[in-house]
Amino acid sequence: MNDLDQLKELLFGAEKQALDSISERVERREIRTADVADILPEAIHQSHQKDGELVESLTQPVGECLQQALRDEPETYADALYPVMGPAIRKSIMHALRNFSQQINEAVEHSVSPTGLKWRWQASRAGIPFGEYVLQKTMRYRVEQAYLISRENGLLVDHVHHESSKIKDSDAVSAMFTAIQDFVKESFSPDRTGRLESADMGEFTLWAVHGPHALLVCVIRGVPPKSLRADLSAILERIHFRYGDAIREYKGDTSTVPDVEDELERCLRFEARDESTKKREGPPGPVLVLLLLLALAAVFFGVRSWMYSQQQEELEAALNATPGLYVTSIDRDGGHFTVRGLRDPLAMNVADVAESIDIPSDRVSVSMQPFQSLQPEILAERAARMLGKPESVDFRVSGTTLHASGQAPWAWRQQLRSRFNSLVGIDRLDVSGLQGNDRQQIADRVAGLNQRQFFFGSGVEFLDGDQARLREFATELAGLVDEAREFGYLVSVTAKGSADSVGSAAANAALADRRATVAAQILAASGINARILSQPELGFADEPPREDVSLRFVQFDLQLEPLPDSP
Amino acid sequence: MTPVTSKVCVVGDFAVGKTSVVERFVTNQFSEKYLSTVGVKIDTKEIEFPALAVTHKLVIWDVAGSEKFGPAEMAYLRGASGYIFVADGTRPATLKAVERLQNQITEAYGLAPAVLLVNKRDLTADWDVSDERFDALTTNYGNAYRTSAKTGDDVERAIARLAELIIENDMRGK
Repeated sequence: MNDLDQLKELLFGAEKQALDSISERVERREIRTADVADILPEAIHQSHQKDGELVESLTQPVGECLQQALRDEPETYADALYPVMGPAIRKSIMHALRNFSQQINEAVEHSVSPTGLKWRWQASRAGIPFGEYVLQKTMRYRVEQAYLISRENGLLVDHVHHESSKIKDSDAVSAMFTAIQDFVKESFSPDRTGRLESADMGEFTLWAVHGPHALLVCVIRGVPPKSLRADLSAILERIHFRYGDAIREYKGDTSTVPDVEDELERCLRFEARDESTKKREGPPGPVLVLLLLLALAAVFFGVRSWMYSQQQEELEAALNATPGLYVTSIDRDGGHFTVRGLRDPLAMNVADVAESIDIPSDRVSVSMQPFQSLQPEILAERAARMLGKPESVDFRVSGTTLHASGQAPWAWRQQLRSRFNSLVGIDRLDVSGLQGNDRQQIADRVAGLNQRQFFFGSGVEFLDGDQARLREFATELAGLVDEAREFGYLVSVTAKGSADSVGSAAANAALADRRATVAAQILAASGINARILSQPELGFADEPPREDVSLRFVQFDLQLEPLPDSP
Repeated sequence: MTPVTSKVCVVGDFAVGKTSVVERFVTNQFSEKYLSTVGVKIDTKEIEFPALAVTHKLVIWDVAGSEKFGPAEMAYLRGASGYIFVADGTRPATLKAVERLQNQITEAYGLAPAVLLVNKRDLTADWDVSDERFDALTTNYGNAYRTSAKTGDDVERAIARLAELIIENDMRGK
């Protein structure tokens, strides 16, 4: 150590040691590494708290590190990700299914509702797909296109848009917008500081967000909220942060702004219409359909109920108009009726009454107690049954009088007179319209019998067979007499003999009487009392006496006489 | 092919055929009424340069004609990568106007690749630009063409040359 060094040591010994120490820290890599490692966590924390620059700075290198690591050790990362992949996939699938379900719901809603049908028609008129039209109608706003434009030269840096958006040449649009922007500024802003920030074009709104080097122009369908402008400004600020210098120097080479499209994509926002807004517009389609169906059902059931009510009234009227029925109540359950009351056994069935007014009998239950009706129709019917009324007779009841009319045998008339009093509710009989109906028939038979002759040989000896014929006649006549009596007639029988001209007139008359007597005796054997028509003489003055068998006979004269009616 | 986009402005005096020249060459994007209202009309044209593996899209700003640009027109020219100057070969005064406009532009925005189109060469009877004058123009502008918007003569070649110049200029800048 020379004098100078000693002098330095004396003067700057402490400082030199410090410098040596600093030099050693700077030169020795391990010490520097240890120092950085010491402050790195805190430095990262502070930087992250201050702004987002650290994240921006690390995004690319960390991303590349991850890519490299994944390429080199895919299995390690697969193992590490395995526990989270399952839940993530399930969550993703559930989310997709939920969206799908919602889309289905909306599609159905808009397909069947009146609004949906109207939209479908309008979509076909506009020549756009129904789905797209529904989207336009259901969204509050949608950023259709976003242009990132260099403020320096109006060149388009990048452009993103929805697939369904109709776009022109985006470079030309970008330039034209810049030109119009300049035109507006030069024309309407005296100090040239003004700028075009928004424009309305029918259903579209155009928003321009200005940055130092770039202009973000968004074409928005619908009504965007004010907060969207702040969001777009944030996106533009981020773009300036990442690509500010590149955009400032932009000359049309897109490679100088890599991945700017990813940033720009974030502008394509979409927001569905507020549910509360939808509610204000009226109930949704399915509800309308449901209400319509309910209304139709109400109308249907209302009309049906009214029809049933009408049927109930008709049934009640028909039952009340039916003799022998007394209805106390008709209960209705839907279209089913329960009838309660009293029914005369002779009255019409309730079910038959219902059928007669087109109400099926299976819709009618009957709970009727039997009773005896005094209604005229039922009284007449009961009288008919009790008295064995012939078909040729009609009964009618008025008050307590039974009116009989038509034709009936005498015997039945006698029975009617004797038995009508036994009918409850009947105390008088009117037979002024009732006649016998059997006289002609009896009279014809009587006329036939009157023609019969029974011949004799000599004296009072019948010719062969005529006595037997007379007995048959007697039997037949006895039957006729009985029948005539039933019909209210008496048959009077007179026997009259005859003889030929041989002999004296007196003798012949006597012979004729004997012959009549013999015949009457035969009739008497059958219970018939025949009167004898005695003849004083039988003369044949103009003829010579001769035997004539045809004059030797006996004949009867039968006469019908009405029996006097019983009082 | 690498896509590159450049802003190109068409400038010149009134009625020299700027719009006609552009329309020979481009796909119309907007109505011509913008020219009379806003004062500029935008069209685009893509030109491929296979040798450079570049597709060069020119966004052509057809600026309304004027002897001298006002602030609005100058605003339209800002950031242009190249210029198409158009003059009328039957009216030599329009060449003067082009010269003034070029000076004005250069003063405001600096030098940029440009081509000069001396238009209406189909009107041979009225043509009023001598060969000597044209040579001088070529020297001055670097690239001058006798064009006809009516027949299309040399229009495409001139504009393709400008697209090429812009690429070369950008490559030099890099």
